[in-house]
Amino acid sequence: MINPRSSAIFFGSMFNGSADSLRQEDVVVELHKVIETGPVWNEKTVPVYDPAAMAKQIRNLQVKRILVAGHNVGFYKTFLTKSMLMAGLDIQDVVLLNFREYGIFKKSSAPFAASVIICGLFGVDLSSVYPPEEAPVHAATLVIGGGIAGIQAALEIGNSKNKVYLVEKSGTIGGHMAMFDKTFPTLDCAACILTPKMVEVGQHANIEILTNSMISFISGKAGNFTVRVLKKARRVSLSACIGCGTCAEKCPRTAPSEFDAATTLRKAIYIPFPQAVPNKYLIDPEHCTYVENGKCGVCVKVCPVPGCINLDEEDHEVEFAVGNIIIATGFKTFDARRIENYGYGKFPNVLTSLEFERLLNASGPTGGMIKFRSKDKKGNWVFSPENEEPKSIAFIHCIGSRDEHYNKYCSRVCCMYSLKMAHLAREKLPEASIYEYFIDMRAYGKGYEEFYERVKKEGIHIQRGKAARVLPSGDKLFIRTEDIEGQKIVWQEVDMVILSVGLEPSEGYEWLSEMLGIPVDEYGWYVESNYLNNPVDTHVSGIHIAGTCQGPKDIPDTVAQASAAASRVLQSIIKGKINRPIKDVYPEEIIPRLKRMIEKKEEVL
Amino acid sequence: MSQLVNDQVKLDLLKFGVRDWNDCFNCGNCSAICKLTEEGFLFPRKVIKQAQLGLKDSMVANLDPWLCYYCGECSESCPRDANPAEIMMSMRRYLTSLYDWTGLSRKFYTSKFWEVGVVLTFFMLVLAAFAIFLPPNRDMFSNPANFINSQGGVMINSLVAGISADQFVKIIEWSDWIMAIIIGGILISNIIRMFILSILRDKKYKVPFYAYFTEAWSLIYHFVTQNKFYHCDRRKYWFGHFLLMSGYTMMFIFIVAMLKRFQTEEVYAWYHWQRLLGYYATFGILFFLGIATYQRIIKKDYKFKYSHASDWLFIVMLGLTTISGIVLHFFRLSGIPVTTYFTYVIHMAILVPMIVIEVPFSKWSHLAYRPFAIYLYRLKKKARTEMVIQNSLATV
Repeated sequence: MINPRSSAIFFGSMFNGSADSLRQEDVVVELHKVIETGPVWNEKTVPVYDPAAMAKQIRNLQVKRILVAGHNVGFYKTFLTKSMLMAGLDIQDVVLLNFREYGIFKKSSAPFAASVIICGLFGVDLSSVYPPEEAPVHAATLVIGGGIAGIQAALEIGNSKNKVYLVEKSGTIGGHMAMFDKTFPTLDCAACILTPKMVEVGQHANIEILTNSMISFISGKAGNFTVRVLKKARRVSLSACIGCGTCAEKCPRTAPSEFDAATTLRKAIYIPFPQAVPNKYLIDPEHCTYVENGKCGVCVKVCPVPGCINLDEEDHEVEFAVGNIIIATGFKTFDARRIENYGYGKFPNVLTSLEFERLLNASGPTGGMIKFRSKDKKGNWVFSPENEEPKSIAFIHCIGSRDEHYNKYCSRVCCMYSLKMAHLAREKLPEASIYEYFIDMRAYGKGYEEFYERVKKEGIHIQRGKAARVLPSGDKLFIRTEDIEGQKIVWQEVDMVILSVGLEPSEGYEWLSEMLGIPVDEYGWYVESNYLNNPVDTHVSGIHIAGTCQGPKDIPDTVAQASAAASRVLQSIIKGKINRPIKDVYPEEIIPRLKRMIEKKEEVL
Repeated sequence: MSQLVNDQVKLDLLKFGVRDWNDCFNCGNCSAICKLTEEGFLFPRKVIKQAQLGLKDSMVANLDPWLCYYCGECSESCPRDANPAEIMMSMRRYLTSLYDWTGLSRKFYTSKFWEVGVVLTFFMLVLAAFAIFLPPNRDMFSNPANFINSQGGVMINSLVAGISADQFVKIIEWSDWIMAIIIGGILISNIIRMFILSILRDKKYKVPFYAYFTEAWSLIYHFVTQNKFYHCDRRKYWFGHFLLMSGYTMMFIFIVAMLKRFQTEEVYAWYHWQRLLGYYATFGILFFLGIATYQRIIKKDYKFKYSHASDWLFIVMLGLTTISGIVLHFFRLSGIPVTTYFTYVIHMAILVPMIVIEVPFSKWSHLAYRPFAIYLYRLKKKARTEMVIQNSLATV
């Protein structure tokens, strides 16, 4: 029998950026309540880069086994096995206990972490003490988020004749990709790829779309979740509406269009965009006069279909059961107002990349022409096709990304989409001067570097050096940068500035992560169960992630991940069973069981 | 032009206040946001790059750190939080220690033990000098009224035993001049070294001879106005700095060059120009000190976020000097000769180490280096334009 006192415990890093992350002290306290162990080590208390000194320590303390516990245990394996060899011990006795695999992240999981270590001390795997229970799987699947990731996953599962519920917050599916003009690096039309998929989802016999809906509660365990969805009042009947548009013509109220990234105005009764799925009108309660004070009702009067618009419709909840959940909640763009030096929100012709994307798009506010922003009659800043064209455009990279003050990570897509937009701008304005200011050009994907080379040859001034500020001078804007390769300071005069904003987790991620028990990292991206070999599963069995909710990524990666998540779901549906690993076992429960197991084993021996 | 790579200089600078050289990823945000950068003088990024590459010769010849007045804007907007402004400050400390041939500057900047030790030594020396050579007149314990003038103030020069008031002022004045000459000598010799290191050894620039004369005005102009600082985005810092600089310089002139007129037996009326200027100087220094101390404690503003030991010593020494000076003034006006004498001694014991250590070797030395560096920078700039003209002529 293994003596627990002869095993040392080596703690790797467990800090995940949040204040309530698990700490070594918490685990050790729980552990020492019930059992005596050998020495407890971590990176700071032992000579991590000196196996000889470590071997000496191992011999001195008469350690026979080392348990490596924490989140990055593999990192220490080489060093510890080397030390064990030098101490004349068996390298099999370095045991890795990866807390990630057990979903241990927070302070509250300290007792469970202690249980995992106790099993390790006795040389037994937790799953052999508490074997995971197998549960039957409900064949339906819930997909949260109707962007390209959600659409792709829903289609994969739906096409295999399984029921899918696709829940979308806004009035249409399509997400951010529907707003884009072209995709990099192939310059395919985004809508040409996406809209057929959207229509397919809309007409699919196995896919039920719940637009204008929010998840209100999810309960249950893997294989059998109960989902309650709040269907917000659309106030227009999906079945009766013929999409004629008379109501919107007469509607007196306007609001910034979400689809056009607030560059144009839409009516309070609207279709998000012409290719929306479902292609029916809906009413925005925040801007509808009738919802506000009970007067108006013009749309009801002009609607040619009787009983189609019901302004008094109320929100209602639906409830259904699913076996698996795919989270595909996507991203939101960084709010460029947070960095004052670039003057976004102050100067009308400083745009975010999403706004410029809409300008480039043929279905956008200017019909695909690049125009200045101007004030309309009512004093709203909008783009209109009558305005003049800019003669020079500058793109500033890394707005809100790779920045210690905002988001430390690289948003991955901004370099490429800026290059793509520069290319499109060059196409539409052959005479204009186009500038790009970057820190590092991250053209990392298949065909991306070639695309970069191509854009460079199109006469676009691409300059290394982060633009520090944008200042107005009359109608013009001045950008101050350091031209690092040319070794000079540049005051560049331009007409229009595009801020390449980074990606941030979409709103509501905290709530969802709290309810489902899926950890998020320090920025709010969902944590996958294993970054390398299991990037679509979470620590909660039966819940999968796909797309940018896991981290910034481009469209090809998103689609690939969505298909992968769907394949994990189908795996359990086809098998008919799903594993529910044991969670939160207390050390007090586990010790008697362990002892019984070991006694039995010894009898057999 | 080749030079040896010296990667030790990076490590050396860690002792002068640099946190980490590797934070910087050379995006150029700092140089672009700074209002004082121009072609050929790209700081802070280029300075950091030189250190990252280990180009010690370039770093030593570089005057750019002196062109920075530390408004902190670069640190505030640095995407890597690499703190370029503090790196420039550390570079100034490093350059000061390089210019100083005595090696004391390096000791004071890199060792708290040395800095505090020497301050305490000088403190004790001044106390001892007073105790041995200028002891208090016993008379004032028994008959304080004898030492009070017609205005009711203390006759400050008559408090010492055995010598007349005139002799006392002369002794202090002579000591002042000796101190000033030694400090000035060290500073001037260091400035010559600065000139050699940054102009003569820098083969990239050939300064035209006439420029030495035509640019000389900038020395006085920038010393008096700190005009470059005025052009930074944050003018409030210039204002605080100007108050301190003008107040300190005024006091320095009073106590060294004009001691006879400043330290008088009679007490002038409050509206006398000398007293008004003195009050202005005191106000300027106190105003600056108050803000600097508060900001360095709360560590919110990037200009004051990181404090080196020498920054704190500067504040503490200047603060104690000012406070003891104010207390001295108060006792003198109230007509208490005994406390006036002892406060005077303490005031001197704080003032002397502050001037002896800080002016030639530590933080105050920038009052000489910076205007001179701007003069040298203007020479380099002239050399640069000359070069551009010649190059264009050659191509024609």
